[in-house]
Amino acid sequence: MTLAGSRAGRFLARVGAIAWKEILHIRRDPRTLLLALAMPVVMLLLFGYGVSFDVDRIRLAVSDQDRTEASRRLAQAFTENHEFDPVGGDDADDADTIFRRHRAQAILVIPRGYEKDLARGGPARAQLLLDAADAVTAGQVLNKADAIALSESRRMASAPGISAAPSLQVKVSSRYNPEARSAVFIVPGLAAYLMAISAVLLTALTVAGEWERGSMEQLFASPVSRLEIVLGKLFPYLVVGLIQLLLVLGVGTNVFDVPILGSPLLVILAGVLFLAGMLGQGLLISVLAKNQLVATQAGSLSSLLPSLLLSGMLVPIDNMPAVLRLISRIVPARYMVDALRQILLKGNGFAQVWPDLLAMLVFAVAIVALATARFKRRIA
Amino acid sequence: MNPAHSIEAERLSRRFGSFLAVDDVSFHVEKGEIFGYLGANGAGKSTTIRMLIGLLTPSSGRASVAGHDVASDPEGVKAAIGYMSQKFSLYLDLPVEENLRFFGGAYGLWGKDLQRRADEVLELTGLAEHRKAITGALPGGIRQRLALGSAVLHRPSIVFLDEPTAGVDPEARRSFWRLIRDLSRGGTTVFVTTHYLDEAEYCRRIGLMVDGRLVALDTPAELKRTWVPDRVLLVRGRNLTAGAAALRARPGVRAAEPFGAGLHLRVDPAAWDGAAVRTVLEASGGEGVSVEVAEPTLEDVFLAVVGRGAEAQAAQEVAP
Ligand SMILES: Nc1ncnc2c1ncn2[C@@H]1O[C@H](COP(=O)(O)OP(=O)(O)OP(=O)(O)O)[C@@H](O)[C@H]1O
Ligand SMILES: [Mg+2]
Repeated sequence: MTLAGSRAGRFLARVGAIAWKEILHIRRDPRTLLLALAMPVVMLLLFGYGVSFDVDRIRLAVSDQDRTEASRRLAQAFTENHEFDPVGGDDADDADTIFRRHRAQAILVIPRGYEKDLARGGPARAQLLLDAADAVTAGQVLNKADAIALSESRRMASAPGISAAPSLQVKVSSRYNPEARSAVFIVPGLAAYLMAISAVLLTALTVAGEWERGSMEQLFASPVSRLEIVLGKLFPYLVVGLIQLLLVLGVGTNVFDVPILGSPLLVILAGVLFLAGMLGQGLLISVLAKNQLVATQAGSLSSLLPSLLLSGMLVPIDNMPAVLRLISRIVPARYMVDALRQILLKGNGFAQVWPDLLAMLVFAVAIVALATARFKRRIA
Repeated sequence: MNPAHSIEAERLSRRFGSFLAVDDVSFHVEKGEIFGYLGANGAGKSTTIRMLIGLLTPSSGRASVAGHDVASDPEGVKAAIGYMSQKFSLYLDLPVEENLRFFGGAYGLWGKDLQRRADEVLELTGLAEHRKAITGALPGGIRQRLALGSAVLHRPSIVFLDEPTAGVDPEARRSFWRLIRDLSRGGTTVFVTTHYLDEAEYCRRIGLMVDGRLVALDTPAELKRTWVPDRVLLVRGRNLTAGAAALRARPGVRAAEPFGAGLHLRVDPAAWDGAAVRTVLEASGGEGVSVEVAEPTLEDVFLAVVGRGAEAQAAQEVAP
């Protein structure tokens, strides 16, 4: 055998030995595994019933094809209470592009002839297009649009020279998630959330466990390198994480009719990149913590809170205060949630999703490198 | 490095903050010998081992192990040695066999080679019948044998065993030491630390550590000669009082005290033996005299060494 061959052989033997041992640990501790696999299903069923949250400052694009005083007044009615924030006007034809690029969450379309219809005594029609992939926001927008339309009709009815009948109808049509069901919206978020927690916790515990047991000293006295330990430890949990992802998606599609419009391969790719980052985060914690208790606390705080609150899973990122919005940029769950929603609900492909994938890749590489660097092979 | 030496340590020191855990230690270990490293809790035994195997960087001094410098080539050292740490480290939730396979894998063994070595080691350590047993369910003595087996799976030329028999019953300790001697006969150098002085008798040479310093190093017999120069004689018989007084007056007799019905003597072994003592006692009216020579133990050596260490310490503290 050549030197390179035997070197690669020993490398694989060492990584394989560590991965295999980890698998045996998992097999010996079926409760943890069961918890990791049952949790997604239970959580999904619990969350499936949806919760409603307050939404403010929805980004609204106005497509004013009438360009009259009346049409401008209607647009103003939407934005004057800061419930909607105007963004640059766009063509209604281009709604898909606007939504895919996240330029706006809703588009108000005022058709040509709107003022004439009003003057004639109605009914005047306007249309509100909604990006309902984010169902919580969509539900809120729906209510707000109704309220604004109603008060606008009343105001016009009381103005002199216009007939008394309510003359404005705003027709709302949702894109992507026509019924604005929250299960559909919650599944991608939940998948990211569950993968984050169990990936961070499992790795944080397994490395801290080696320190506590004293076996880390034994490993460090052998020719096993830090990278080999890291890779060997990450691999089995990567597989567990992917199984979780498939479970959540399986329950989501079968019980809650979540569509998988895009490529399943792209979903897996996103899952691998996201998990790599989360596993690296767990590793970093356990390298720094050295005991299981501290590792558990740091692990759950650092995975649970950001992925629950800053990922856009429950609270849309656009509705966050600026500071949190900024922080959310370094939360990988944010990119995972976005990627999953895009792929599953909008059917977007690599061309649209790559920025999310890139962000997760950067995070994963950075944090695994950091963990490996901080992983001291010498004791004390 | 002398090619007959497995380990060479030269003025090795390690400090933790202001605390000097290992203080200017020099020694060598010859190929194939069992080298015992003795000392009380906190004497610096584990710290010395950790420096020798590349886990801790020495604060000063140098050491080489199996021809590799521990500071500049710790990886070379690691590949050449086996190590059984004090706070062990088998995976208790795994079967015996899987522990062996894991540590074999960690040293780069795989496939058929790994299987063959694991079988050999199971045979060697007498664990073949336990191969499928969960490690945590086995008694401590068997686990220690498994730990030793895991440390020699890759046929290292040197093994470092840090208190391998702590907390194990005497019979299991004896069978463990049989294994150690088998290894040494097979050419493996064994560096072993222990608390048990009776075990140290099995070592070819012994280093004694007190508070981070290596205060004595030699074969057990030589240590006894230099550190316990007196011989203790136990005398039984009747009418020994006059004889005891006569003995006390003679040169080479350091003490002669009544002890139960008999006498307890401390003498210079060069000047006195059992027969000479009996002659003196019988000349002074002693009857039915029998003399038994108590050979010094390493226990006596250790007490003498620690006593000397304490005196040196006291002298240092008094000195300006
Ligand atoms: N990483 C460390 N940081 C600070 N002090 C340490 C460290 N490791 C060891 N010490 C101290 O150095 C001294 C020697 O420790 P060492 O473990 O070498 O002793 P030992 O002879 O092996 O004792 P034992 O029989 O208890 O195992 C002890 O006082 C210990 O507290
Ligand atoms: Mg120790």
